[in-house]
Amino acid sequence: MSAPSQPRGPGGPASQPGLVEHYFRHEYGRLVAILVRRVGLPHLEAVEDAVQGALLAALTAWANSIPDNPSAWLYRVAQNHLVGVLRKDQGHQRVLDGAADQDAHDEEEPVSAAFAGEVRDELLRMLFVCCDETIPEESRLVLALKTLCGFSTGEIAFRLFTTEANVYKRLARARDRLRQCEVDTQTPPLESLRSRLPSVHAVIYLLFNEGYLSRHAEHAIRAELCEEAIRLGTLLASHPVGAAPPTFALLALMHLHAARLASRQDATGGLLLLEEQDRSLWNAEHLHQGATWLARAAHGDVFTRFHAEAGIAAEHCFAPSFADTRWNEIAELYAMLERIDPSPIHTLNRAVAVAQGKGPQAGLAVLDGVVPPAWLDGHYLWDAVLADLHHRAGNAATAERHRDQALAAAPSTAVRQLLHRRLTRPTR
Amino acid sequence: MSKRKYLVLFRNQPTGGQGGPSPEQMQQMFAAYKAWMEKFKDDILDMGDKLKSDGRVVSASGVADGPFVEAKEVVGGYMIVSVETYDRAVEVVRACPAVHAPGALLEIREMAGAKM
Repeated sequence: MSAPSQPRGPGGPASQPGLVEHYFRHEYGRLVAILVRRVGLPHLEAVEDAVQGALLAALTAWANSIPDNPSAWLYRVAQNHLVGVLRKDQGHQRVLDGAADQDAHDEEEPVSAAFAGEVRDELLRMLFVCCDETIPEESRLVLALKTLCGFSTGEIAFRLFTTEANVYKRLARARDRLRQCEVDTQTPPLESLRSRLPSVHAVIYLLFNEGYLSRHAEHAIRAELCEEAIRLGTLLASHPVGAAPPTFALLALMHLHAARLASRQDATGGLLLLEEQDRSLWNAEHLHQGATWLARAAHGDVFTRFHAEAGIAAEHCFAPSFADTRWNEIAELYAMLERIDPSPIHTLNRAVAVAQGKGPQAGLAVLDGVVPPAWLDGHYLWDAVLADLHHRAGNAATAERHRDQALAAAPSTAVRQLLHRRLTRPTR
Repeated sequence: MSKRKYLVLFRNQPTGGQGGPSPEQMQQMFAAYKAWMEKFKDDILDMGDKLKSDGRVVSASGVADGPFVEAKEVVGGYMIVSVETYDRAVEVVRACPAVHAPGALLEIREMAGAKM
């Protein structure tokens, strides 16, 4: 026995700054998942209140001394709170009995329930519950952020650029749905939820994009959502129910994009074009992870949009320089993406790649005859690409028209400045 | 019943940059990925709605929980428990506070031929 007896325990939320940051938020997710498993989905709201109560109690109780086993402490307090609440409701006699049984071996249970594998399974089960296809997609995302990531409704509203009332509405819709369809007190076993995997992928992907594409100026806020998406994806990949190449491809694409996240902004918060980015700022750890997941994603006969997108991200990350980027390869990957998931936004991206590789005329030819749907027509990206291509092709008047439209439609000052810089520079 | 030795690895998400693949290795990994993608270039046979489990995690040799087995993973620590059965080893590990570390994963392996 040559290892310390407590290698990397929680160490007490106050003693290790690195762990403090997300300890409470992640503990929230763990406790909710475990307790929901105990008392059943219909009591989700009571469980969340109980966990919230336990975390608040900890703030006071731990001020002077932190318990030896903080997670077990939180579990015990939350469970007692929950039993107290459910006891008031005589209709839940059966639940009460079950909880009382657990009280009997209270000393062992919290530790047992916190066994890494079990916690992982409970968190995953909760994730699959959140991804019930009958819950509207926007509600799935909010439910996952609330129950698994431990964000409050206010924090979710702040991160998703919406109102707290709207978040609350989406949550209520999700909970109503859960109450209707999950009448069982037990959440279904993971294996039976396997068919929801595409929905789980979609929610993780959406969560990542909310962070990556967010209009938030503050880098930390955006990075946080990306990290949560990666955390859930990693969790998913760690269990047989999710350990499949599409999950690995999703993780690869998230890590490879996350690697470039910090370099997309200059010191003043302005956005930088890819060719302006300092490649030495790209995060080595994310690149390592991205490459590793990429290697694991390259198996089997299933090619998903995540595979195509991971390939595109990898082309950028592993190109020695902007000038040495393999644009033809990227254009081909976009073509594959279009076949899997036809969307004019993919065609638009392919046009950009083709123009980089074969010149602006070839890029414009890709868009020839493409009629943008309403949501893209008038979107700044559509006009920005056309302005850029026409500008480079020497069609000054057409370029100017699209440039004005793009600038007028730009969603933020940062984007407007970026466009202005890109679209007004002299042609090469 | 004679006691066997079990190695318990405490795994954590990698946090540092050390021990990762070199740029050259990453290029090779990417090249392998590109090679694999070739077969889909002309005709994408399966778009991924039917997911398969590759069932790679648990093996009869006693790996209780073996995700994240890449070379680059950081092993946070380890201990060896000497007990009769695999189940008993799991019980012992459950009592260890390290399982509470956020993101902690524990892997238990029976040590080859290590009865005592």
